[in-house]
Amino acid sequence: MKKILFFALVLALAVFLPMTATAQATPLKFLYYADATQAGYQEDMDEFIQKFKDDNPDIDLQVEILFSQAYHQKLGAYIASGQLPDVVYMWPTNRDSSLLLHSLKLVRDLKPLLGADFLKPFTASALNPNAQASKKLAELPQSFTYTTTVYVNKKLLADNGLTPPKTYAQMKAMVTKLKAKGVQTLLLPDGDQWPAQSCLFSTIAGRMVGDVFTDNLVAGKAKFTSPSFVAALTFYATLFKDGVIDKNNMTMGYGDGPGLLASGKAAMFVDGDWRVGAYLTDKSTGQALIPPDNQATDFVFINFPAIPNEKFPGVASGIAGVGLGITTAVKPGSDVEKAAVKLLKWYYGPEVQAMKLRTGAFIPTRTDVLNFEGLEPFNKMINDYKNTLKPSYVIDGVWHPDVFNVLNAGLQAIGLGSETPAGLAKKLQAAQDGLPK
Amino acid sequence: MELALRRRAEEQRAYWLFVSPAVILYALVLAFPIVVSILLSLSNYNGGLMFGGKPWSIVGLQQYGKLIHDPQFWLAFRNNIYIVLISAFGQVPLGFVFAYLIYRKIVKGGEFWQAILYAPNIISVVVLGLLWKMIVNSNGLLEDVLNRLYAHGFLGSLNHVFANGFVMSDDLVRQLIKIADPGALATFSDPFTDLKDFLAGYTPDQLSVLKSDLTNLLARRWSPEFMARPGVAMLPILFVFLWCWTGLYLIMFLANMQKIDKEIIEAARIDGAGEGQVLSRIVLPSLSGVIANAVILCIAGSLNSFTLIWAMTGGGPMNVTEVLSIYMYRTAVVSVNYPLSNAIAMSIVAFSLVLIALTKLVEKRWGGRE
Repeated sequence: MKKILFFALVLALAVFLPMTATAQATPLKFLYYADATQAGYQEDMDEFIQKFKDDNPDIDLQVEILFSQAYHQKLGAYIASGQLPDVVYMWPTNRDSSLLLHSLKLVRDLKPLLGADFLKPFTASALNPNAQASKKLAELPQSFTYTTTVYVNKKLLADNGLTPPKTYAQMKAMVTKLKAKGVQTLLLPDGDQWPAQSCLFSTIAGRMVGDVFTDNLVAGKAKFTSPSFVAALTFYATLFKDGVIDKNNMTMGYGDGPGLLASGKAAMFVDGDWRVGAYLTDKSTGQALIPPDNQATDFVFINFPAIPNEKFPGVASGIAGVGLGITTAVKPGSDVEKAAVKLLKWYYGPEVQAMKLRTGAFIPTRTDVLNFEGLEPFNKMINDYKNTLKPSYVIDGVWHPDVFNVLNAGLQAIGLGSETPAGLAKKLQAAQDGLPK
Repeated sequence: MELALRRRAEEQRAYWLFVSPAVILYALVLAFPIVVSILLSLSNYNGGLMFGGKPWSIVGLQQYGKLIHDPQFWLAFRNNIYIVLISAFGQVPLGFVFAYLIYRKIVKGGEFWQAILYAPNIISVVVLGLLWKMIVNSNGLLEDVLNRLYAHGFLGSLNHVFANGFVMSDDLVRQLIKIADPGALATFSDPFTDLKDFLAGYTPDQLSVLKSDLTNLLARRWSPEFMARPGVAMLPILFVFLWCWTGLYLIMFLANMQKIDKEIIEAARIDGAGEGQVLSRIVLPSLSGVIANAVILCIAGSLNSFTLIWAMTGGGPMNVTEVLSIYMYRTAVVSVNYPLSNAIAMSIVAFSLVLIALTKLVEKRWGGRE
């Protein structure tokens, strides 16, 4: 009998003690965005999430991790049902689910929450409230992202007697030589529709029409059918006509690019700076798509070459990056607010940001962690490349989704030869005119 | 009298006791969302809390007006119709034919074919979609095989041109232009001069390298660009729909054919009936109800096309393979336009009602006669 009682007591303690401990902890709901297939995911889980949990037993961190459209869909559903998480991963602009966070004022200003002292090491561009759709520090951009980076296999070019191009004419002149060797000149996998717009056409528009013209387009003071904008679309069409980009890129999955570049099937690959992480060593497997020893010797990152008749030379599309925001579900002065601020300070603190730099996730806007010693060459190369650039708008950061979705589909259609630049310009104008006034 | 009344009251109570859970469940799970969806489609609600959030109001049929003039809506609707047609007039007849061939032992290895044709039904639709994506997409199996065939054919022509070795001449350039794919030549500003310059980079002892390079440069290359043309783009998807679910109907028909008394068929054969008469006079009438049920099943299943298409093409390229459900999803999640996406949802409900009416008609006209 005594044994049974003792066993029952132990069982009761085992069941109820953790419940008591959890009940005292402050619950904090966190919706995080991560790709489990990307190198660096394990470090993210161990050094960011798990370490925070271990160091803060008084906080019951309830993390939900999603990626790509699944994330936006779930956040949209949470918003519609009034079940906002306390901390969310979000975009500074009106992209997908972030549109609702900004337009419905569902996130709080981080400036007073994090405090001036904490924000000191961050770049001025990261702290610029005007770079965000809700004109406040709705999220703290963890990086400044250039959406156009040309990843060049300079060894492959050299093997064919070529060098990285500085002008479009030089790029075009490579096509015959490379094609004869079964190599694509410039890779732009656009099966997911957004890369052509975000990673290439935004820079073409930035060079050929400029940001002021884009502001006027958005404000309805300029027309998409104007000759300068049609000329930008025409230059994009020329890339396919000249064979610089093969039309099969338009149905190629976004995930195919890094492998094709690394295996020498393409000499150049245009993508965002964030893609550098795809080539680094994955600590969980010890494998790298491009081994560190070959990174600096065989590859180089360049801006898109000079375009004929460009008005704004050298600009590349760039935008304040994503980051974490605290939602209005967190009441001022509450324990949850303290827990949320603690989580953000841990995330944006030197340890996690140094890990993000090390794993190639991004180049942090927190400047005191920018130490490249001991890191793989690509980490420093992408930082050096970014330091040479002047930013221009990324179209999906400034246009309305109803308009940039027409552009996304239209750029794919131009690549496949089923749309003309003038035709797409008309469709864009119609979409802009159809927006609610 | 009193007893009868009491019994009736009891019956009434029992009736409501048993029916009410189903009615409540139906109201919560089906009727309520449909009513809310109708409301949203007529509103200017743009996200956030429906009650207690930003105020919204009913603005009328604006979104339906937009839909009627939206070419993407009609494209998605047409794609839905294609799927219904391939389901009703593809899967069912093919399933019947295969079942008949196996049942009458017209083909050997019936059990093997039965297993092969049914196999796609036991694999996840997402896996099937990704599998076919890898076959028909850029850099996929189909592109690779076809391009190898084209390259092989072109190499044969090159061997003929270089039968006497590589000697640079204008005539050689002209011959190469003649056998080259016009699409491959389109990237040259002046094919004759450019090719001549290109050939100048090679020496006669590099003939095998030259042939390989010329094949890469001038042979016809196939790419799945037809996937970008509305209508044609749906062909691979429709084929996969046919491939996926024909086996289901095969099993259904075969199981019912096996119930037919074999003595009737044997007697008919002894009386001199041909295979066609056995089919038209015995098997088909015996299975008319099953065929009607199969048509109903496949029409209902055709509305559930989101998963396969999403995994295979994501509605692309250029949204030409979108069906109404994918268009609704994109409008809600990417464009964040809830009234329009709910208007699309309502059009799906209306389309479903039409299909249900159609299936009822089929059932009434041909069902349950065996």
